[in-house]
Amino acid sequence: MSRVNVLLSMAVSLLPLTALVFLFRESVGADVWGLMQEETWRASLGVTLYVTLVSTLCSLVLGTLAARAVYVNGQNWLLRWLKWPLFVPHIASAYLFYLLFADGFPFGLIEANERHHLVVIVTYIWKEVPFVFLMVLGTYAQLNTGYRDMAKTLQLNPWRQFSVAEWPFLVKPLLDSFWILVAFISFAYEVPALLGVTFPKLLGVLAYDRLTTGLFLNESEAYAVALIWTLFLFGGVLLTYVLTAKHRRRIEKGVRR
Amino acid sequence: MKRFLIVGLMLVFIVSACGQEQAEVAETFDEAAKASEGTTVNFYLWGGDEGINRYLDDYVAPRLESSYGIELNRVPMDTAEFVRQLSLDKRADRERGTIDLMWINGDNFRNAAEADLLTGGLLERIPNATLLNEAAQATDAGTPTNGLEVAWGNVQFVLHYDAANVQNPPETFEELRRWTEENPGRFTYPEVTDFTGNAFVRHLLYAKYGDASRDMETIPDAFWDELASWSPNLWKQGQTYPKSLAQLDQLYASGEVWMTMGFNERRAEAEVNAGVFPEGTRALVLDHSISSTHFLAVPFNASNPNGALVVINELLAPEVQLMKQRDTYWGDGTSLDLDKLDERDREAFLSLDDGSTYPDPELLSDRQLPDYGPDVIDQIREGWTRVAR
Repeated sequence: MSRVNVLLSMAVSLLPLTALVFLFRESVGADVWGLMQEETWRASLGVTLYVTLVSTLCSLVLGTLAARAVYVNGQNWLLRWLKWPLFVPHIASAYLFYLLFADGFPFGLIEANERHHLVVIVTYIWKEVPFVFLMVLGTYAQLNTGYRDMAKTLQLNPWRQFSVAEWPFLVKPLLDSFWILVAFISFAYEVPALLGVTFPKLLGVLAYDRLTTGLFLNESEAYAVALIWTLFLFGGVLLTYVLTAKHRRRIEKGVRR
Repeated sequence: MKRFLIVGLMLVFIVSACGQEQAEVAETFDEAAKASEGTTVNFYLWGGDEGINRYLDDYVAPRLESSYGIELNRVPMDTAEFVRQLSLDKRADRERGTIDLMWINGDNFRNAAEADLLTGGLLERIPNATLLNEAAQATDAGTPTNGLEVAWGNVQFVLHYDAANVQNPPETFEELRRWTEENPGRFTYPEVTDFTGNAFVRHLLYAKYGDASRDMETIPDAFWDELASWSPNLWKQGQTYPKSLAQLDQLYASGEVWMTMGFNERRAEAEVNAGVFPEGTRALVLDHSISSTHFLAVPFNASNPNGALVVINELLAPEVQLMKQRDTYWGDGTSLDLDKLDERDREAFLSLDDGSTYPDPELLSDRQLPDYGPDVIDQIREGWTRVAR
């Protein structure tokens, strides 16, 4: 039985590789240079980076602050409230925010479907803060409070207290969350499809458009973009994990001891 | 033991997926009807319209069940999506697919025909095909149909406006542009990846260049510049456009914009009756109106092609086409040639009530325009980016 489990886990871990091979096969024939030159794709890449990074970074900061508020300041009510957005599917939250912002909110200030994609970003932050919160919460639960007490005893200012007694332990969960969110938001469809604009579209929306309309000739184009983007993310993940490997190993050992 | 079971099951699946041969199509209609008794036909079509869905589920399906013992299973899906599914089937040599019958037209048909995804020789096996309007059956948006699909309905493009807000409706596309200047934010059209939005731009193209626009190498920059000049006065200052006709209809229903548009001159009637569209909804025929035929086709790997033939024949029956044209469910124009019908059926079609949202039929047929070929549709998709930007 255990061998079946091993086989199954191997099959599952091979899936991403299969996906890559498939993407690569489908991308053959795409004019990658032409893609880079096409204004529609370039504008899409620009707006995708903007939306992804802003939503992700805001979610990370707010999620961490919320987790900190629970463990450091004892704001336990947050635990109850922050889990709700997790149960709302992305498409439903997109619709929720669409209804709220369609005519501008508050007092016509921010509208859905405008070029700055503010409502898209707000939707993502609302959805992802609880996710980051849960990722970081575990770390805070295990955190040795001795470090913070010592930092306090040494009369470090609050920012220094955070950076020496908490930050080193947060690197790993935050890095994990960062890449999960970036990978998800940068190629997602529902939220930007409903709340975005016609031009520029986010990568996921544009790729789907190209995949489903017009000639099949555009097909390899969308696959090529998916492939390039996947490789790019893959490279980013690899690089940041290699760069932080030493640090993370030290922390892990330290915690265990 | 369990492991063998799993491996065995996998093998069964793999073998069953590869080993089947293509289902055979009967030579005559009677054979097809006999072969398909007691079977299910999976009908794939766009499911975005309640009226269409009810027409098939509440009216057509029970008739098929009682006359031929066929169960009609309607599967709602975007057309481009199931055409893609078929092309994947083709590449994987999947000889028995899940789709038996589909609703298709325009560039989806062109794609499917080019990739050899359809069963041919439909017309000679379907008795009611002799009643078809030959002009409608001949080509699909410029692509010859070659018996790969059968005309199901024939409609024309019209705009609808709310008379409560629009007192002096424009009469030409040029007047429409001026109207948007006087009523900023009250008009928009779906983006051109959408079937309807693309058609709207084709109308403007014809309004500017006439028949010369049919064989232009590229669409001139001047046309796009002019279209871009509409933007500041459109909904949301043209910063964004509805992604689909459904979204435009929603904007129109909520009163945010005062006009909507679409193929099918009778489409607004059921919406008004249901209280979705405003009471004051009226049709607007401008300089010209593109007519469009939509079709039924059978995929190359249909598991039940004979059942599909029977369903097509039933959908072309005069009585069934008449119910389709009524505003009860759908209001879709018939693909039959009224001159080929017998006296009683012809009378029934001619005496259908006029709806308050219907355009003047004579005006509409006067201004009818055959559709452009797929190349122009693609050119619009490529060029329109300059407007959206």
